[in-house]
Amino acid sequence: MKGELKDPRKTFGKAVSDIAENDERIYVLSADSGGSSGFKEFAAAHPDRYFEFGIMEQGVTGIASGMATTGKIPVFCAIAPFVTCRNYEMFRNDLGYMRQNVKIVGRNGGFTYSDLGATHHSLEDYAIMRMIPGVVVLAPQSPDEIRGASKAMLEHEGPVYMRIGNPPIPELYDGEREFVIGKGQLLREGTDLTIISTGSTTVETLKAADALAEKGVSVMVIGMPTVCPIDEEMVLMAAKKTGRIMTVEEHYVHGGLGTLVAEVCAENYPVPIKMHGVPKEYATSGPYDELLHYYKLDAAGIEETALEFLKK
Amino acid sequence: MTRQGIKELELAAAKSRRNVLRMVEASHHGHLGGAMSCLDIVTALYFYKMNVRPEDPKWADRDRFLLSAGHKCMVQYAVLAERGYFDKSVLDTYGGLKTKIPGHPDMHKLPGVEANTGALGHGLSIASGMALALRAEGKDSKVYVVMGDGELAEGSNWEAAAVAAHYGLDNLVVFVDFNGLQISGKVQDIMNFTPVAEHFAAFGWAVRDIDGNNMEEVVSTLDALPLEKGKPNLIVAHTIKGRGVSFAENKASYHYWTPKGDEMAQAIAEVEANIARLENEVKEAAK
Repeated sequence: MKGELKDPRKTFGKAVSDIAENDERIYVLSADSGGSSGFKEFAAAHPDRYFEFGIMEQGVTGIASGMATTGKIPVFCAIAPFVTCRNYEMFRNDLGYMRQNVKIVGRNGGFTYSDLGATHHSLEDYAIMRMIPGVVVLAPQSPDEIRGASKAMLEHEGPVYMRIGNPPIPELYDGEREFVIGKGQLLREGTDLTIISTGSTTVETLKAADALAEKGVSVMVIGMPTVCPIDEEMVLMAAKKTGRIMTVEEHYVHGGLGTLVAEVCAENYPVPIKMHGVPKEYATSGPYDELLHYYKLDAAGIEETALEFLKK
Repeated sequence: MTRQGIKELELAAAKSRRNVLRMVEASHHGHLGGAMSCLDIVTALYFYKMNVRPEDPKWADRDRFLLSAGHKCMVQYAVLAERGYFDKSVLDTYGGLKTKIPGHPDMHKLPGVEANTGALGHGLSIASGMALALRAEGKDSKVYVVMGDGELAEGSNWEAAAVAAHYGLDNLVVFVDFNGLQISGKVQDIMNFTPVAEHFAAFGWAVRDIDGNNMEEVVSTLDALPLEKGKPNLIVAHTIKGRGVSFAENKASYHYWTPKGDEMAQAIAEVEANIARLENEVKEAAK
């Protein structure tokens, strides 16, 4: 983990805005959400490519589809549950089925809108988005990955859903790394256990791996910023090398990263798997760090879960 | 438009009605009522108003047509076939495995289809996005939509209604196919959105009520577009469900038709008699 913490939303907004300076196909759509998604400067600089619609995520998803049919690349960012659950049928039909080149970004993903409660949490977005054929699901883990994922999703032809969080996050790498859709990142070598994490939980997973190493447990850590399509090759490499996999995600244990990893292993190379995440319940509210602790998604909780798994 | 021109459009509509029956002959069922009610409008759009190139269906400067009420898809297939977008033999695959003309339109299967509609309440948003983007590019292209009247109950329509008015999309032209009937009965009994024109006018649309099965009135309305500069256009087309097949007219039970007994033979006889009559009238008008 390197350097100062950075705001994911501002990082995302700036990354897209920088690319849009040289790509006039990029339009930014707002459901009263653009300013909070890092697009204030873009809106001021490019009023001809910034459209405000008010609070109507269903309408904006359809509008984005219509715009994309003319060759535009609409980018629409708002609070995660409102651009995944609220507009699900529009996402499925107007973007997925119509194969339109629209980029939807759910910000404040997971339970980063911690104290606002379950209406504003997004703990099923990976699961429901991955079920739409042709939709790429991204969950970048660091500012560098947000920049890389923004570029990759704009270069990718087709609908993309990307989840970003809200609290400031550190860099994971020294310097820039190319972000390739569908590719995982081997962050630590290890032999006793592999932990695969995505999005917001990777930083805490690395801390847990360090603590486990001090206890003599050698943990391979894989960061998986593309949830779908999952990097099958890397999952199977880990299964073969360590014989055990634990998945960690700020998402329901069902349907997300854990399920995707389990599907790959079950069909190709079965190994014991521990899927660690939020149980299927309307998560309680409170300060974000306390929520992470409550659901054992902080470093201590991940470490404890890993040790229990290793005992089995 | 001349009397001959009107008669030619009516003839194209009659032939398109025969195409609808041809699809039902192939599949033995289909959403007849709504396809027939808005058929005169769709015919006038493709044969008179819209700037399209059937031989180049993705031509960038084309006008767009979206059938928001996608279950009426037979109307679009019938008119596209009549207009020369594809060979009429494709109509015989309706209802079949891997057909290019499924029970709701698919833009990736059939050239000329602009959106995968079918889930109600989507078309107006997609069309608004198209109209907004085309205008942003400085194109003169128009976007035409046919919506169902029962479809008005979908709340997402009203999101798009607000957007089109807010952005003054006068390149967007929406027909509400107001045949007054939906699958369970009368639209006004099920969920009343009348007076439809006033609802849209309150949102800021330019509105007009017309007889949507009267070709002369449809054409004169198309000639009057945009109804008001700077406002999206909403035309409440009062139509007859099942128009052109006498036993099906104005009956909710023919929303979805599975022909029984000699129904198909009777329907074909009526439509073909109408084609013969109109062929004569076109000749007469040409004299």
